Amino acid sequence: MSDFVIIGAGPAGISAANESARYGVKVTLIDENNLPGGQLFTQTHKFFGSREHRAGVRGFQIGYDLIEEINKLNVDVLLDTIVYGISADMEVKYVTEGSSAKSITAGNILISTGALEKPVVFKGWTKPGVMGAGAAQTMMNVHRVLPGRKVLMVGSGNVGLIVAYQLKQAGADVVGIIEAMPSIGGYKVHASKIRRIGIPILTSCTIKEAKGSPQVSSAVIVGVDKNLREISGTEDEIKCDLVCIAAGLKPFDELCWLLNLEFKYINELGGFVPVHNDDLETSMKNIYIAGDAAGVEEASTAMEEGRLVGVAVAQKLEYLSDRQAEKLKGKINDRLKYLRLGSFGKKRAEGKKKLTSISK
Amino acid sequence: MADKRTSIIVCRCEEITDEEVRKAVKEGATSVDAVKRVTRAGMGLCQSKICYLNIAKIIHEETGIPVSKLIPMKHRIPVRPVKIGDLDN
Amino acid sequence: MKSKVSNKSNAGIITLGEFKKIPGYPEEDDFSKGPIAVIECDQDIPCNPCEEICKYGAIKVGKPITNLPVLDAEKCRGCLKCITICPGLCIFVVYRDYTDKTSLIYIPYEFSPLPEKNTYVDVLNRRGEKICKGSIRKVIKLAGSNKTFVIGMEIPKKFYNTARHFEF
Ligand SMILES: Cc1cc2nc3c(=O)[nH]c(=O)nc-3n(C[C@H](O)[C@H](O)[C@H](O)COP(=O)(O)OP(=O)(O)OC[C@H]3O[C@@H](n4cnc5c(N)ncnc54)[C@H](O)[C@@H]3O)c2cc1C
Ligand code: FES
Repeated sequence: MSDFVIIGAGPAGISAANESARYGVKVTLIDENNLPGGQLFTQTHKFFGSREHRAGVRGFQIGYDLIEEINKLNVDVLLDTIVYGISADMEVKYVTEGSSAKSITAGNILISTGALEKPVVFKGWTKPGVMGAGAAQTMMNVHRVLPGRKVLMVGSGNVGLIVAYQLKQAGADVVGIIEAMPSIGGYKVHASKIRRIGIPILTSCTIKEAKGSPQVSSAVIVGVDKNLREISGTEDEIKCDLVCIAAGLKPFDELCWLLNLEFKYINELGGFVPVHNDDLETSMKNIYIAGDAAGVEEASTAMEEGRLVGVAVAQKLEYLSDRQAEKLKGKINDRLKYLRLGSFGKKRAEGKKKLTSISK
Repeated sequence: MADKRTSIIVCRCEEITDEEVRKAVKEGATSVDAVKRVTRAGMGLCQSKICYLNIAKIIHEETGIPVSKLIPMKHRIPVRPVKIGDLDN
Repeated sequence: MKSKVSNKSNAGIITLGEFKKIPGYPEEDDFSKGPIAVIECDQDIPCNPCEEICKYGAIKVGKPITNLPVLDAEKCRGCLKCITICPGLCIFVVYRDYTDKTSLIYIPYEFSPLPEKNTYVDVLNRRGEKICKGSIRKVIKLAGSNKTFVIGMEIPKKFYNTARHFEF
């Protein structure tokens, strides 16, 4: 039995663990990797934000800081451990590498399992040499393996832009970034640093085919019109040994579907997202959701959402009085509000509003 | 766009092609679960983590049903691959 | 990548015309007083470390932090600190009148190997196109710069507004 079982130790999960354990909640934190931190350990670039969100600090360093914090608290951390199911009576089923399946009954559960990359289907997309940008980032920044020497990046959101830059830093030749929309999706500052080092970005352009056998040796790209229809005659063949796909992320919520939680489709947040209230409690009592799993956003918002859940659980278990808890939540919500401002943040804020407004 | 893609694999785990999924949809399988039952698409190792969106898009193209109405296939324990031997208790 | 699909686009680039509207961009006159920060930030991203790190109070973001950074040219000493903290790597320090004929541009640099001092390099503009030759004059690692180096590059004066990277 555990007061609080957290599934997924990314920035959301760790922050929830820290924030609740700090007040005395007995926490079990589970992750399938051999190090807590989730996506943070793939991120070698500096983060945006304010001082509270460690702006100007590189992602993986924030990861180490969170781990240091967790080591000081009394949190039970299970690594190399996959959660393969949750039953309706709050039994979390898991298996740790090298041992047989176990389960633990939880008073409260947080599902902070992050996001999944969306696939793009084209001729040859199953060949070796086509992979998600996130996968490429993990290979190079976590496992120190360069996934390709000549790279075509498909997608100009922040993930595509950042991973292209990091591939270049790691020594690969990035032949270009293509984007089906007429303008780039990510921050202009990320795109600017790509352009000035000589990487072209082709807008209104998509991938038609990855050629080569078995490994990719070239890619056929093609111009598209406003309705994203291919313009014949604009095809071009480009030599490359890696096609990276950065077509967006979606919440990774298999455990929520398993529990038959109520979902809502919200495009701005990546697709189907579990409905939740302001404390991030889902349609099932005592099951919480936070981070990318509650709508794809950023590490900074993931940490704040995790903290909110941490406080809510500590309040529920009476480690915090209502007054103390409401005060803490108010502060966190203020910071969240700031993170969801501006032309990029606003869309996510609207998405979140749609999600929480219908759950009351 | 769609007609040129017929022999492309959409479900990697079960090696189901675009053509097979489209045929199933035309014959009346207009939900992700129904496509799964007819074609096995989504029944592989990844349990449709990869192919769910590909299937939903094809159903949308063939029927006009928005992707926002096409929920993933039914999930069952184990949602992740687990060795049978590990489950025996 | 040469392609039939247009590659001349402005995707990801702030054009010179757009610059004039950015509050982080100094007035023409301000360049005559010595090295000065040029903040090429024109989107309302919630972010303000440049404001925090400037001990001269020359950069103001204020609240909400989605405001664009505003440079107070009078206060800026060209100390380079902001170059290394900006997560967007979009701050440069430009010393237009370095000599009669040349300018010195300080740029953020995160690649290896580092160039050596006095290397002769190809100077690139915001599109990554070669525009002239230049010389590396400074290779600086500021304390707390977290692996972002600052490279000082001497270039013909007329390119002070366009030179933004180099290749060697
Ligand atoms: C290229 C790139 C650049 C980014 N740059 C920034 C940035 O500059 N600033 C910023 O704020 N954000 C950035 N982000 C976003 C940020 O990384 C994510 O929003 C953040 O990591 C989400 O945190 P999370 O805790 O929700 O999920 P994650 O970090 O994804 O963690 C989820 C964890 O759960 C584990 N897990 C999932 N399912 C199970 C299971 N069944 N059993 C056990 N464990 C499981 C996963 O393995 C993972 O470790 C970037 C993302 C990418 C891809
Ligand atoms: S890709 Fe279809 S089940 Fe894995």
